Amino acid sequence: MLRCNNQTNLEMEIVRRALRRVLVIEDDAETAQQIVDFLTARGYEADLAVDGDEGVRLGEAGEYAVIVVDRMLPFVDGLAIIQHLREAGVVTPALIISALGEVDDRVRGLRVGGDDYLVKPFAFVELLARIEALARRSATVVKETVLRVGDLELDLVSRTVNRGGRDIKLLPREFQVLEYLVRHEGHVVPRTMLLEKVWDLHFDPSTNIIDVYVGRVRRKVDGEQTYPLIHTIRGVGFCVRAPR
Amino acid sequence: MLLGKTLRSTTFKLALISIGVFGAVVIVLFGYVYWSTTNFVLSRSDSAIEAERAALRNIYDMSGREGLIQAIERRSSTASFKGSVYLLGDQLFSRVAGNLKEWPVVKGAGQWTEFKSDVLGQKTDQALYRATWETLPDGFHLLVGKDISDLNRFATEIYAALAFAIFLIFVLAAVASVNVTRRTVGRIESISTTSRAIMETGLGRRIPIRGTQDEWDHLAQNLNSMLERIETLMGEVKQMSDNVAHDLRTPLARMRGRLEKASIEKNAPDHDQSLISETMADLDDVLRMFSSLTRISQIEAVNQTAAFRIVNLGEIATEVADLFDAAAEGKGGRVEVFGDKTARVNADRDLLFDAISNLVDNAVKHGREGGLVSIRLDHKGGEVILSVSDDGPGIPSEEFGHIFKRFYRLERSRSMPGNGLGLSLVAAVARLHGASIKLIDNAPGLRVELRFPFIDSIGDTTYGRSAASAA
Repeated sequence: MLRCNNQTNLEMEIVRRALRRVLVIEDDAETAQQIVDFLTARGYEADLAVDGDEGVRLGEAGEYAVIVVDRMLPFVDGLAIIQHLREAGVVTPALIISALGEVDDRVRGLRVGGDDYLVKPFAFVELLARIEALARRSATVVKETVLRVGDLELDLVSRTVNRGGRDIKLLPREFQVLEYLVRHEGHVVPRTMLLEKVWDLHFDPSTNIIDVYVGRVRRKVDGEQTYPLIHTIRGVGFCVRAPR
Repeated sequence: MLLGKTLRSTTFKLALISIGVFGAVVIVLFGYVYWSTTNFVLSRSDSAIEAERAALRNIYDMSGREGLIQAIERRSSTASFKGSVYLLGDQLFSRVAGNLKEWPVVKGAGQWTEFKSDVLGQKTDQALYRATWETLPDGFHLLVGKDISDLNRFATEIYAALAFAIFLIFVLAAVASVNVTRRTVGRIESISTTSRAIMETGLGRRIPIRGTQDEWDHLAQNLNSMLERIETLMGEVKQMSDNVAHDLRTPLARMRGRLEKASIEKNAPDHDQSLISETMADLDDVLRMFSSLTRISQIEAVNQTAAFRIVNLGEIATEVADLFDAAAEGKGGRVEVFGDKTARVNADRDLLFDAISNLVDNAVKHGREGGLVSIRLDHKGGEVILSVSDDGPGIPSEEFGHIFKRFYRLERSRSMPGNGLGLSLVAAVARLHGASIKLIDNAPGLRVELRFPFIDSIGDTTYGRSAASAA
């Protein structure tokens, strides 16, 4: 599990333990091994299927938190596997990995029952962030009205923010960005995921605009404070965490 | 060589075939004219001879041999019967009366015979006679004939005239077809010479135009404009691959150098860490360039209109302005939206967002320090106009035609981050949306105008589908 600090939350940990098995269906041996190694190193139990048949067999038999499917497999389209599993009643969230990145492909992928879509090449931390987001989907969602990280407080009802008792004025979009980051406290949030969830945009912008935007939120939240809360993970995205 | 080509050419072969068919028809027609004319004249003279023979036979039947002899003698000496021959012979064909010296060589009784002979009492050259004869009841033989020299001459003249006409027709047709063919072959030859030259030397050549405005000129013009287009495209492709090579080689060379250095030297772990992250950042740049390129070509090649919805252009513009305001703030400037913020267009929200972002990004990057970037929305003449303008140095108008080219970058912005693909993407997105794109000198600064086709019915907008749900 990708944590940007070593803080643990015992209750959540128990929920997640049952959801630590990931099925990876990928034919490229090196990529597959890299994914498996990376997931294993982060405490996941990863099963590997190198072709569609094995993927379907494992997917139907095993209890997985997430299934990661490569779009282009020998002899079979990854989408067909998902379709097959869905017809067989398997509801495990599926993450499609593809070298075809355009909107139409994404839409088709999600239409057959895929739950998320990631374009090759990708950063492993982004893959992990997305796997975690999918795994959490099945975990219990706690209804909260106030979110807290360190001395930062977000009131979700009045949409106000204060840090150490001092009000911070945020624009509505900025509030959403901060809310999303705080909800994923301790986890890396990839740029593209932030764009998807906050702006509903499904492309990787060619500009560094998200960094600039989050930079402004950070100035408002972290400026003149004793410690920073919003951290940039180079090349990937952002992470909110408080020091121990 | 041209003559050889002319004779071998398809046009000439076609011409030969049509000359052949036409000539055969003419020959048959003329043959019929000749045959029917001479036949008509001949049959008239034959019936005159028949009538004369019948008249003499009548005299013989009425007044016997003596009467017949008298009638023959009288006719032979009368001027009005000039040109006719009569001969009465006995059982042995010896002459009894008439203006022929002796019985000529003839075919059987009742048949027509042509012969040459002198006429008694006439000092003329031998003439051609046509005659027929019968045996009278008393065993004597009566021959009646007519001079047909004139007739013969007439037939010969007709024959000569017709033959000459046919000859003339063939000659003229041959000359005409050689000429036409030669002209055709000449024009084709000039086109094919040019194409060969193009294959051998490059796309710089053009097919000569004669200015005759005929179909050949039109063909040449069309081929020339096709060549023009191909040359432009080839130039763009070359320019693009040069740029790809350049833009790839630079970061790749950097990465290689860095890795090489790291493999030789023993470095501190934190140095290695920064090397790795720098290399990854460079790789990300390269990958981003590739995805921009494939994105542009996909937008251009595939008509991606599946995700088209009625979207609120004003909301997108506000969203973009809000995003880039943060970036402009860093330069002390701001991004603002003016005009009708309810304007709607039929569009792919992601693509439109990307395109407008690129325009605003450019305006912020190249605009004045502390300047204002404005997004203006307007309705005019049935169109929705979105314009993005800055108040920076702008670009010289002679560059207007170039800046939509892939990888094109102004000299002064070469040092800035970017890959020169932004405006190509904007242009591709605009084309997909049926929008026109125009650059205008904002004096100072640059204004980029996108004109979208107007939508009449304001349907339910799907803009903002779950955009607000951050949870």
